[in-house]
Amino acid sequence: MLILQILSLEPAHGYGIAQRLEQISKSVVQVNQGSLYPALHRLEQKGWLKAEWKQSETGREAKFYSLTRSGHKQLQVEKDSWARLTGAVQLIFDEGTVQ
Amino acid sequence: MKRMLNWFRLRKLENDLDRELAYHIDRRVADLIHSGLPEPEARRRAALELGGATHVREEVRDIWLTRWLRDFVYDLRFSARSFLRSPSFTATAVLSLALGIGATTALYSLIDQVVLHALPVDHPERLVLIDWIGFQMAETLGSDNLMSYPICQDLQQQKQFFDGVFCRAATTINLSTDGDPRLTAAELVSGTYFSVLGVNAALGRLLTIDDDQAPGSSPVVVLSYDFWKNQFGSAQDIVGRKVLVNQHAMTVVGVAAPTFHGIDVGEVPSLWIPAVMSAQAIPGFNGMLDRRTRWVQILGRLKQNVSLAQAQTGLQPWFKAMLDEDTRRTKVSRVSAERRRQFLASTLGLTAAPQGHSILRHNFSRPLWVLFVATAVLLVLACLNVAGLFLARGSARHREISTRLALGASRGRIGRQLLADSVLLAFAGGLLGLVMAPVAVRALIAFLPRNTAATDLEANVDTRLLLFAFLVSLATGFLAGCAPALQAGRKSLDSSLRERGGTPSGGLALRRAIVTAQIAFTLILVVAAGLFVRTLSGLLAKGPGFDTSSLISFGIRPTRSGYSQSDANRLIRQIHDEIRSSASTQSSAIANFQLLLGGAWNNPLTIQSTERFTTDRDVHLNAVTPAFFATLGTRIVGGRDFDQHDSLPVNEGGRRVVIVNEAFVKRYFGGRNPFGAHVGMGSGPNVKPDAEIIGVVQDISYRSVRERWEQAYFPIGAEYSGSNFYVKFRGTPESAFRSIRAILHNADPALPITYFRTLDEQIDRSLNTERMLAALSTGFGTLALVLSLVGLYGVMSFVVTQRTRELGIRLALGATRLSTIWLVLGDALVMIAGGTAIALPCVWALGRLVESQLYDVKPTDPVTILAATLVLCSTALGAALIPARRASAVNPTDALRFE
Repeated sequence: MLILQILSLEPAHGYGIAQRLEQISKSVVQVNQGSLYPALHRLEQKGWLKAEWKQSETGREAKFYSLTRSGHKQLQVEKDSWARLTGAVQLIFDEGTVQ
Repeated sequence: MKRMLNWFRLRKLENDLDRELAYHIDRRVADLIHSGLPEPEARRRAALELGGATHVREEVRDIWLTRWLRDFVYDLRFSARSFLRSPSFTATAVLSLALGIGATTALYSLIDQVVLHALPVDHPERLVLIDWIGFQMAETLGSDNLMSYPICQDLQQQKQFFDGVFCRAATTINLSTDGDPRLTAAELVSGTYFSVLGVNAALGRLLTIDDDQAPGSSPVVVLSYDFWKNQFGSAQDIVGRKVLVNQHAMTVVGVAAPTFHGIDVGEVPSLWIPAVMSAQAIPGFNGMLDRRTRWVQILGRLKQNVSLAQAQTGLQPWFKAMLDEDTRRTKVSRVSAERRRQFLASTLGLTAAPQGHSILRHNFSRPLWVLFVATAVLLVLACLNVAGLFLARGSARHREISTRLALGASRGRIGRQLLADSVLLAFAGGLLGLVMAPVAVRALIAFLPRNTAATDLEANVDTRLLLFAFLVSLATGFLAGCAPALQAGRKSLDSSLRERGGTPSGGLALRRAIVTAQIAFTLILVVAAGLFVRTLSGLLAKGPGFDTSSLISFGIRPTRSGYSQSDANRLIRQIHDEIRSSASTQSSAIANFQLLLGGAWNNPLTIQSTERFTTDRDVHLNAVTPAFFATLGTRIVGGRDFDQHDSLPVNEGGRRVVIVNEAFVKRYFGGRNPFGAHVGMGSGPNVKPDAEIIGVVQDISYRSVRERWEQAYFPIGAEYSGSNFYVKFRGTPESAFRSIRAILHNADPALPITYFRTLDEQIDRSLNTERMLAALSTGFGTLALVLSLVGLYGVMSFVVTQRTRELGIRLALGATRLSTIWLVLGDALVMIAGGTAIALPCVWALGRLVESQLYDVKPTDPVTILAATLVLCSTALGAALIPARRASAVNPTDALRFE
């Protein structure tokens, strides 16, 4: 979901995604770079991402991933379910404090 | 699916991944250097963070192809490489599997076509055959499931059960399209035939209900697509052309759809004729509207929401009412009370008939299933053999496997590798088998009876067959591979690594079990072969009861070529006179019905001797000319033969006479002198027994060689006619054929000969099934024997090699050579005895399947079983003796030094 979110902003290559992940969630989530690529390929396999070789900012060819239409849809689904989950958790906490 | 596709672009994927990872590392290294790390340290950090490029690659690959698929593909590659390294092993295994799979596939192909294949019509599953169960009290024309035409018309009114009902009868006609008439297979059908089946026309129209009016009212025919194509070159103007059916002009109104070949897979008609034209299509037949003449099969299409059981129950009230009404109709009212009771007890039977109706299926499904079971057993045997080979190979490979286990391969993984081995082999075998199958099918089809009608059987490989072969190969692969795979999983690792090279004990118990099973299966096949060979040789030795050497028979049907009955009789008499006066003829005669064709003229007789009684079952009847028995070489045991006098009409000085056979005298006169007694045709009280018994002849086979039945012969002449000639000739059959053909051509060049063959050939044809079963079961038995002997030999050699040291010590301690041989043979004997013990109950259980195919021998015939067991045991002991002798020849010092 994080990868999808990052890619929904703009297409990026693997290293870029890794950096972004580190930036965004530096202290909170530790993402192992080793599991990034299997995850990317899995998402590509599922048809949520598409990839193409493009010039990167350094001038070298890099594999850029971007979201497909079904990727966008999936992101929305995941966001909703996340919102529902956190909402539910929030509710439980609120309930607790009221009593 | 996408993953499957990935397999084909694996190389590109790998490249891309490499580039991607290289880019990642380079960027990371650049960033780290930028932040102040020295380059080597930066590289190390980058690789560490990624967790090892190889690991990532592995994981990504798993995503491309699922794990097991990738492993399986690697396994297959590995197996293929290792097989190519041991070609003789591979060839043996593939060949034995190919034989098994090929034979099974061939049999399945025939069974599919003859027994299982549904008609290519709309919803064949709703077709039912409607049959009379019980005593129908009717004249019979045809073979089985016969009904009368009026019943079909009645059933067409039962609209609450059926969408439609039709009737059909297969026949052979003389058809002239332009030149000489030719014998052609035709189907006489009701007008509802095509519409009920849901068959469309390729050209013109098909028959309709309008073709079902009065007898003789609809002189039209519909051609089959193939016949139109071959005979008329697909002429577009075919509709409206006239053809001559038995010299009666009929108009072609249409051509049926190309896929439709009639409803009988064994008899494909070239054209369809309305049943109302039956008098023209079958000369001398006028029983179409007679309720007491059964000659058609009736099939119906059930309504969508009516089940077979519902229709069957629902139809009984109507049927009972019809029986009741029938008893009041003239003919039926005069039969004996007993017969009447039997008649009234009849019921109507409905059976599902999605495959149509076929006499071929009726006669051959049993032998085909028997052979199918035999091939399945053979296939299992081949599997066991390959499993045995694998085990032997497994023990040779066990160090490799142990090493792999020690290096961390899981047992499941190794097992899968071994399974991949056998699946690969099985598919190679299956492929080869599939190549062999059509050849085998063609050979099998040659065993089936052949007549004017073409059969619809083909030796093609279609998708169903491919699927079958694929499934069989897969099952074979698993069956052959599971034993070695299990074996690999069971062994303790360090014991096998510690074992001395050269004396592995791999899977010996399992191999023993396999050989025991092989021996059991082989014994079953050898017993079957013995039974079928005894049946065939028994039938051949018994013969038809007459001398077939130098005997020819042929037939003509002048009434089908436009002759009137009296003209036909004159022609036949003229031909017969010429044949008799020909130099190459020793003697000749004519019969009304052909011998050894599977059918007979059946009727009960009423006998008047000291008392009047009716035969308790049908007598087989024939009408013959004088010298018929002399021509066949059948002895007249009492009384006299017919003479010219007997064939005269009664009012011209002729007498009504009959000759019966010994079986008839035995059954109805208790062996006493029958002369002077009189018989009459039929069973009613108004039958006049006025034909005097004047002679008794030896029993001969009429319907088939298997059968000896009560027979009675009437003279050909005033009452009966016939046109089946039997000629005893001098010299070679070729010269006899030539001179007879010349005589026939001289008499009428346009007259077709319906058949022309020697009686030896006729007997061969009538014993086709027996021959097929005997030949194939012997082949299967031999093959099985070879397979299991090889298996036994392999195991025994293995045992001897393994026990060399022990045997050496025994010999050194003073054991004799003989006792050593016995020691080893004892091992083999246990396996042989075990196999026999398993096989005998199976033989007993399977006996019922083959019982109806046997003649004069029981499926549990002790002599055959004993002989088969002896053959098996002696050859098996022979195979075991070779390694045993080698064991006894072990030199003690060598054996001990061997360590």
